[in-house]
Formats: sequence, structure tokens, C-alpha cells
Amino acid sequence: MLSRRRIDWVIYAAFIVLIMVFPLIMDSFWLNRLAKYLVFGMLGIAVALSWGYAGILNLGQGLFFGAGAYMLAMSLKLASTTSLQQGSDKPVPDFMLWNAEPGAKTELCCINKASFLWLPFQSQWFGVAMALVLPVLIAFVLGSIVFRKRISGVFVSIITLALVLLVRLIMIDAQPVTNGFNGLTDLGWFKLGEFEFDPYVVPTYYLIAISLSVVLVLARLLVETRAGVILQAIRDDQNRARYLGFDVPAYQTFFFAVSALIAGFAGMLYVIVSEFASPTFMDLSFSITMVVWAAVGGRASILGACIGAILINMISATVSETEGFAEAWKAIIGLVFVLVVLYLPRGIAGLAHDLIDRFVARRTPDRTRALRVNGASSQLAE
Amino acid sequence: MLEVLFIGLSLGSILLLVALGLAITYGAMGVINMAHGEMVMVGAYVTVLSGLWLGTNIFVAIPLAFIVTALLGLLIERVVVRKLYGRLLDTLLATWGIAILIQQAVRLEFGLSFLGIHIQGLGPGLQNVSVPEILQGTLRIAGADINRYRAFIIVVTAILALATWFVIYRTVAGTQVRAIIRNPKMAAACGIDVTRVNALTFAFGSGLAGVAGVMMSGFKTVFPDMGTPMVVDGFLVVVMGGVGSLLGSVFSAGILGEINGLVAAATNDILARAVVFGVVIAIIVLKPKGLFALKGR
Repeated sequence: MLSRRRIDWVIYAAFIVLIMVFPLIMDSFWLNRLAKYLVFGMLGIAVALSWGYAGILNLGQGLFFGAGAYMLAMSLKLASTTSLQQGSDKPVPDFMLWNAEPGAKTELCCINKASFLWLPFQSQWFGVAMALVLPVLIAFVLGSIVFRKRISGVFVSIITLALVLLVRLIMIDAQPVTNGFNGLTDLGWFKLGEFEFDPYVVPTYYLIAISLSVVLVLARLLVETRAGVILQAIRDDQNRARYLGFDVPAYQTFFFAVSALIAGFAGMLYVIVSEFASPTFMDLSFSITMVVWAAVGGRASILGACIGAILINMISATVSETEGFAEAWKAIIGLVFVLVVLYLPRGIAGLAHDLIDRFVARRTPDRTRALRVNGASSQLAE
Repeated sequence: MLEVLFIGLSLGSILLLVALGLAITYGAMGVINMAHGEMVMVGAYVTVLSGLWLGTNIFVAIPLAFIVTALLGLLIERVVVRKLYGRLLDTLLATWGIAILIQQAVRLEFGLSFLGIHIQGLGPGLQNVSVPEILQGTLRIAGADINRYRAFIIVVTAILALATWFVIYRTVAGTQVRAIIRNPKMAAACGIDVTRVNALTFAFGSGLAGVAGVMMSGFKTVFPDMGTPMVVDGFLVVVMGGVGSLLGSVFSAGILGEINGLVAAATNDILARAVVFGVVIAIIVLKPKGLFALKGR
């Protein structure tokens, strides 16, 4: 039978196949770019999950992305060759030395007051673990407080927005440990055993593409579970769900944390392909831009939001190559966004669903007729 | 110490200047207008352009900017915002799109730069406004040196806040606006033309942003992106003060301004802003309805 759910899965499969065959037709420069956009697609998934399914418009998703990015970037910074050329046998980030007090010992433990925080990041896997744990931890604590107090709607948006800006300022201010405005650059490559993930080779692309596919499928399966359905009930009417006896804050916090985990994971992958981490990840405009991607793609569709993010970025990269058109493109994005909110609130995915529904509806009469004929004939046989 | 408090007061008045318009559009209409910062920017550009092309000073720019941004606000309400009443988060997103459009319109000189036409005072670059001589230098009050321009901002903000209070609480239109804040449907049932009042309210709020822009242009560089951080500050003030409460906005702007000034004097500007964000988060978490919550039904 051709149910809508089955069509959905066919489309998911088609998308995954599509991103898997890209390396066959693209050069390494574009592949690296595309890998970044796939990471943004993952951010689209995170936004769709918290906004579309949980009804929580998080305007500070960049916080989780940034946390994931910085955690891995710290490890990769220590793995970089520049960190080994600072006159010590142990790695020390170059920027710490530039700003070191005269006479300070060139070692991570004590080159400045807070540099000891970097010590465990000498192990890459500690960085990876932290990139996943830290966003979840922040989201869990924040969610527990905010959702237990029954804060909802725009107030959650404002809190998340203020929080991401707060953290951004602290990161900039803590210049000796974070390199402030400049962020962490000159990173080493991510290693898996002996293999080094050069950002411009095909295996790195596959690392991202496979990660995205896994996240995509898992997120889709997650919203189909009982918990996912309850979450949507909460989104539609919090009080009703509460009176029905569901622990509303627990569901909200859980999905908020899952969304944070995905965003953190995306941040970590972004560092692997882009080789830097900077406070711009926590700019307000970046967090809102993610929401824009999801809105254009379809806020209530996981794949839609993901495709929205990838498409917008691919188009803007192509268009921006034409000189002078980059600024005009921004204006077009602004216009598209207004139009989408006004006339296409469910985004591209909503449009696609309507088309599929029409397609399915057209087929259905045939099938029921066929059933009726079958039923009649079986009755005759009796 | 007095000087620090004064700086705090002037920071607070700048916050209030931006927040006044938002307090009206958000509080009264339930519209999160992310383009509010761009209204401030447009107001600043009106000052730049009127100085360059008309040779007028900042005092003339104030009414001019009010008219220009109020008309722009009216246009935005008619074309976009009107269709989104009751969809709070969607207004946030749509007006973000509008904000980008306005920014790019200024940056690209309304698209004329593609034709090779350049308008002096527009474009992606930085602009500066020279302040009339009366507003330069410092005043000595009670043994403290006080910057004249900052004092001017405080005065203008006080006048605008009083004018807004008068309009909202002492005029017929203001009574209608307050009725709509409480209950739009009931207001409509009582014969208030909600559509029209909403349009005018939005225009008034935008006009206030325009005046804020004129004041900003006197001590900040004017450029197309200048509005974004302001709209954030403005929202924090409004939400912390309590949505729909003018008095709440006045108080929270004062409190945040003083906190900003004091922390900045003790440490640095970046940390001061961080502390302000922290305070706002704590207050929203503790009192989600804001310091001066409106007791509606």
C-alpha cells in the first residue's frame, strides 16, 4: 500500500542516496563546501525537533553548536603542529604564548590562570566526549529550570537568546583561554586510529554524510515513538497533556536536550571540515539564520528543515560567486523569508506533503473500487 | 561615583529610548518587531542624509526621522504584520526578514548601486554625524563633569517617555490602545476600530525608534548593521519590565543601565554587558511575567 508514511521513507532513502553519490560528480573544493552545508542540514534537524515538534523556539541554538565546536577545537588545537613549536615538549596553543606573562612557565598547567582547563583536551576523545556531553548538560539544566517553572513560548526564546549572547561575551572576554574574538584557528586534523581526516578528501565528506544520515533517521524514528507523539500533544496543548497526567517538563527537557545534542554534534563536525571555531558561531544572527533555514524547509518536517538548510546554503554559495550579487542575494533571502512566513508557513515540506496527499488521494478511489470488486467477487464465490 | 551613576543613567535612557517603541508594539499589539532596530538605523540615516543634503542639524532631524520611520512602520504593518496578528513567533520571523531587507536597501542604496548611481550618505560604509556646538563638551554639575550630549539624550528620553505616557493614558486613542492590550476582541466589540488603531500604534512605535536613531547618530558610528544589537537590548528591557507596562520598561531600563554602568566602571564593557544578560535571564526565570506584570484576565 502506498501510505504517506511509506512515501516519506522513500524520500528519506532517496535523499540519503543522493548525498552519498555527490562525491562522484564534485571536485574536492565543492565537496568540502557541501560537507559544511550538510552540517548545517543537521542544525536544521535540531531546530525542527525543538521548534516543530516540541514547540520550543530556541533562538540560542548557536550556544550548543558553539559548545560542540569549541570542545573539539580545543583538542584539535593541541594536536596542531603550531602548538608543538612553542618551546615546550608538551603542546601549548600559540595564542597563549603571545599573551603570556613574562617568565610564565610554557606549560598548559600554568602558562596563565585558567590554562589548566585545557589539560584533559590533550586527548582527542575527551574533546569529542565533551562536545557531546556539554551541550546536553547545558540543555538539561536550562530545560529543567525553565520547563519546571512552566515558562513557555516567547519567554523561552528570549532566555535562550540572552544566554547565547551572554556566553558569547564571556568567550570573548576570556581571551587568555579562548583567544577571544579570533577564536581557535590553525587546528590539527581529526584522527580515527591512524587515519587523518583532511577536510578536503572524500572520506571526510563521507564521515559527515553518514553522520547526517544516521541523525536524520534516528530523529525521524524518535518522533514516531510514543514519547514523540506525546511531545506533539504537549506542543498542541500543554495544559491538556498535563491534565492527562503526562510529566510535561520531562518530555520537553528530554527533547530539548536531544536537540542540543544534535546541534553540539553538528558543531563538532563543523570544526572537522572548517578547521576553526569562533565566537561568531554564537552570534544572534547565526542562531536566527538556522531558524530561517528550518522555516523555509518546513519547521514541522525533519527532512524538510534539513533540505532547507542545505538548499539555501548551496544556492547562496553559487549566487555569491557572481560579483556584486552577494549583497542582493541577502535581500532576496530576506524577501523569501517574509513570503514563506506569510504564504507558506509549513515551508517546502508542507508544499511537498500537499502534493503527495493529492497524489495519494487520486489513487485511492481506484483502489477502493478494486477492493469492492474483489469483495463482490468473493461474495459470489461463497 | 556621581559620574559613574550618570553614565549609568545615560545608558539606561538610551535603552529606554529604543525600548519605548517596542513596549508599545510588543505590549499593545503582540508583535515582536525584529525590524525595530532597523527603524533606529533608518532614523540615524535620516540624520546623516538631512545633514548632507539639506544642511540641517540634529534638531531638525528629530521630527523628520519620526515622520519617515512612522510612515515606514505604517507600510510594514499594512503589508506584512497585519496578516500575522495572533501568531507571535511568526511576527518575529517575518520582521527579521524585513530587517534584512531594510539593511540591504540601505547598503545597496535602494538597488541604485547596481546601476552605478551612488547616493552620498548611503551605502555599506560608515557615516558620521557632527553634533551642534551647544551639545559638545561637558557641563559641571555638583562637582562632576557631565557630557553635554549624554545629558541631552537623558532630557529627550524623558520628554519622549512623558509624551508616550500622555498619549497612552490621557488621550482617547491611548485608551483604545489600552483596551486592545487587555482584550482585542472585547475592544472590537465595543466599537473600537482595532485594525486602524493597531496600524497607528505600530506607526507611533516605529516613529519613536526613528527618534532613538537620531540620538544614536550623535555618538555612535552610523552603519547598516547598527540596529541588531539594539533590538535585542530593547526586548530584554521590555520583557524584564513586564509586557504591556510602560512604567516597567522605564524601571528596567534604569536598572539595566545602572548595572551596565557600574560593572563597566569596575571591570570592562564586555563583562558589563554579560552581567546585564545574566540579570535579565535570572529575572525572566524568577518572574516570567516581568517586574511589573499587567494583571489581565
